[in-house]
Amino acid sequence: MTENTVTLHIDGTPYQMPEGMNLVDAARIYAGIEIPIFCYHPKMEPVGMCRMCLVDIGFEARDRATGEPVLNPDGTPQVRWGRKLETGCTTRVTAGMHIRTKTQAVTKARKDILEFLLSSHPLDCPICDKGGECPLQDLTMRHGPGTSRMAFDEKKRLGKHLPLGDLIVLDCERCIQCARCIRFQAEVVGDDVLAFHERARSLQIISISDPPFDTYFGGNTADVCPVGALTTVDFRFGARPWEMENIPSISPHGPVGENIALGVRLDRDSGGVKRVKRVLPRQNEEVNEIWISDKTRFGHHFTLSPDRLQTPLLRKRGELVEASWSDAIKAAAKAVKEAGNRVGIIAGPMMTNEDLYMLRGLAGHVGSRKLGVWPPNLGDPDPVAEVGIAAGSRLTALGKGDAVLVIASDLEEEAPIWFLQAKQAADRGAHLVVANMRTTKLDRYAGHVIAYDFNEGVDVLNGLTAAAISHRWTNRSALERVNGYDELTAALKGTRQPYKEAAEAMAKARNLVVFVGDDGLDPEGHTALLRAAANFLIITGHAGQLNNGLVPVWPGANTQGAFDLGFSSENTRAMLKNPPEVLILAGAPAAADPAYAALLDRVETVISLTMFHNAAAGADAPTTAVVLPIQSFAERDGTFTSAMRRVQRFYTAHGPAGQSLPAWEAVGLIGERLGMPRPPRSSALVMQALTEEVRLYSEMTYPALARVAEQFPPIGASPDFYGGATRSAAGGTGIAWPSRAEGRGKLTVKAVRAPEGVKPGPGELVISPVRRLYDRTPEFYTATLMHGRIPEPFAAVNTADASRLGIANGDSVVVHVAGAAVHVTAVVDSYAPEGVVLLPLYLSSEPMPLVPLAGTVEKITEPVPAD
Amino acid sequence: MLKEKYADRIAAIFAKYPDKRSAMMPLLYLAQEEYGYVTPEALGEIAALIGVDPTQVRSISGFYTMFREEPKGKYWLQVCTDLPCALRGAEQFYQELLAELDVEDGGTTADGMFTVERVMCLAACDRAPVLQNNFHYHENLDMDKMRALIRQWREEAGQPAPDAAADSADPDDSAAG
Repeated sequence: MTENTVTLHIDGTPYQMPEGMNLVDAARIYAGIEIPIFCYHPKMEPVGMCRMCLVDIGFEARDRATGEPVLNPDGTPQVRWGRKLETGCTTRVTAGMHIRTKTQAVTKARKDILEFLLSSHPLDCPICDKGGECPLQDLTMRHGPGTSRMAFDEKKRLGKHLPLGDLIVLDCERCIQCARCIRFQAEVVGDDVLAFHERARSLQIISISDPPFDTYFGGNTADVCPVGALTTVDFRFGARPWEMENIPSISPHGPVGENIALGVRLDRDSGGVKRVKRVLPRQNEEVNEIWISDKTRFGHHFTLSPDRLQTPLLRKRGELVEASWSDAIKAAAKAVKEAGNRVGIIAGPMMTNEDLYMLRGLAGHVGSRKLGVWPPNLGDPDPVAEVGIAAGSRLTALGKGDAVLVIASDLEEEAPIWFLQAKQAADRGAHLVVANMRTTKLDRYAGHVIAYDFNEGVDVLNGLTAAAISHRWTNRSALERVNGYDELTAALKGTRQPYKEAAEAMAKARNLVVFVGDDGLDPEGHTALLRAAANFLIITGHAGQLNNGLVPVWPGANTQGAFDLGFSSENTRAMLKNPPEVLILAGAPAAADPAYAALLDRVETVISLTMFHNAAAGADAPTTAVVLPIQSFAERDGTFTSAMRRVQRFYTAHGPAGQSLPAWEAVGLIGERLGMPRPPRSSALVMQALTEEVRLYSEMTYPALARVAEQFPPIGASPDFYGGATRSAAGGTGIAWPSRAEGRGKLTVKAVRAPEGVKPGPGELVISPVRRLYDRTPEFYTATLMHGRIPEPFAAVNTADASRLGIANGDSVVVHVAGAAVHVTAVVDSYAPEGVVLLPLYLSSEPMPLVPLAGTVEKITEPVPAD
Repeated sequence: MLKEKYADRIAAIFAKYPDKRSAMMPLLYLAQEEYGYVTPEALGEIAALIGVDPTQVRSISGFYTMFREEPKGKYWLQVCTDLPCALRGAEQFYQELLAELDVEDGGTTADGMFTVERVMCLAACDRAPVLQNNFHYHENLDMDKMRALIRQWREEAGQPAPDAAADSADPDDSAAG
């Protein structure tokens, strides 16, 4: 789209607007005039299928001989109108264009199109989930015929209640064949698992992928569906749209911080309490646009799951028994007091900034600095603070001339929304480089795929940096503020540069965003990789500017917040060497790693703050003395900081499970017993205190976080603006804190080398943990509707390794690593690199290490039946 | 498997197009030729050959009337009964053809010889009634010509008419005989 502003006349009134914008958007955004639509969607290419946006289009006449404008007697330019109406969505604004949206022809066309669409529509609005927020309903009321000339008996009968995969149900009779769902899957996601079958009135949407509708984003099709043809299994027949309150919230799953709205209602089936009936996306163009993953959409069931811990537990005569809050707090405070500075804390991925602030206050009070973060495998996050993606950046801005690097991460599994955005940046012309030790789905869209051997990610990045230095693809003005450049140049001398083309594309890109994950890395490797990525960004001038910088693919919703408040993975690991006397597990499933399961036995007392009383949270450890039930993100308010350093606020949606409290309050009560001041009365006040103490967060007060940045195009602004269920940004779009590179200070580059890594002995392989989107953590597994999509526990073994070990695809195997034995099914293919076994985390309930280690894989031979 | 059995033909098909996806229709013809109709397995085979999801292949086979997703007879008779053809008697011809072969609209004869269905425009309006037998055109038809053709196809297939009365246009007679 060009930046030229031209004049477009709509119904006789001149408006200034950008040349090249389509008429539907232009009329709405610049003139406030509605051109009704069904198939058009601002996030997809216009196709002109539904014909609802027909308008009269004309051009100012010019004399053919002289080229002079032809004028009416009154001096106004004469307009030559087209003979037929044209679709507004596929027509772009040009100079001298006039459109009419209110003529008799246009009005009649709208009425006729609606009558046509309704001629085979069941009109079952009273039992339709979309009723009340349905564009077809709304536009019929506004533009349609009041009655139909069609006899009901002659309507085309088609399939109803057809499952389109496990999560979406299709009603073919309601479908108006706009193809938004198909186009979303093909254009936006790249999983083209939906298509039309048959034609004309028999046309219907099908999916025969294996499994059907195989995608992580399917729920979005129900949002963009302008009728009730696609409904989610979760919300179907669940509630009427007008009965629900939409509570602004933030996804507790993953590092993206998807903005969502929790639709809540008093629910008879849940005993008359308020509960979440559905999760919808909330528009935030700097975060998730209007998309959410199916994990975020359907993974909310844990908030009021009956499996939740309802009351505090206290160990009495060797048994954990139900106890009152006051007894439990008393016992916890006593243990903490006795341990003094020998208290350690491990905070999990869903702990909010308020929780973390109170935890660190408690540690500070007893003089402990053992603030650990879970998981324990992460490296030093400082490069993120230095060159993290600039505040206010948006991945939607990346296109031709820009570049994206994804290294050591399977974005689709770890941060699905970023997968969409990286893929779409590549579609718009950005140069995508994907570097991994295994194939990932994002490879399909990459300009360069770099397949490196286990533990060689740092070498890849060093090679890219060395190429940039030796070919002078560095940025001269950027180098003026760099410390350590000469040392880096010297250290990288002689480094192999096998990926020169990728290095050139990235270095010369106008904007460069680098996603760094932790796949196959131990903490030292992760530290080195983050640093190596920062080096490249700094010397090529891609640090500190809008739409440039580093994005860490952290594992948790608030991992960044934990780092910001002084928690670290390093502190967690240090506890293995030097166990604390009292260990506070705050939402950290530490016993899921055998080394930490053993740690629980080595401390004197474990205090567990948890939503689920399970083995991972220390339920089986005899040292666990106090268990405190804490609230989920839906039962309380708070803030998460996304991996793009955006602090985002979520609001209380419904009442608590049992007697659970917000973690910050439980911690405050313990502190009060230890003589600390009374805890603040609300999380807003906790945040207030936090902003006064933590400089990075000084602006992040609740009122500031509630501010809404203008969204463009305003898809969520009005339910019938673009016909979708997306909610508006109300509730706040959050604030990202700026990286150091955005200031004026010096930046430091520092040569790093790949650490030693795992050296498997004879007969051993590297056992490398892998993060999968769908797993069996209770925060997700309680969504029973997702069970069909969660893989059975498996290990991916390379074909060559498997044949050496005599393992065939589908064999039952046991993976021995670091004292753990994990029983899984072997998946033998070329997915895993040779010498490395990929073992997905949290698919099996058996503990497994969170870092790559040497181990063995052994086939389980069936006992030979005695005959 | 098509891939093994027709490796050369498939290679030749792919060689014709700059984009693999463009080979979808020739591959669907090949599958239909091999299996008699486009089987669910064939959709998977073609999807794997091209590198798309099977859903996309089914979408194409469902859109075009020349692909069948259910088993069909050895001879696949398609008659256009659109308005211009109907004006030249195609509708009546079609009904008589159904009666002659004793099948339902879109059905297959009990002996598996003929599948009869109506299709949209065959682009031969001026020569209607027109029929395609396995994509070969037969134009300006009437029932006399048609009965001769049916006899010829039955002989070709080594399956002579069930009985002599098959010549009669009246199905009741044929049942009685």
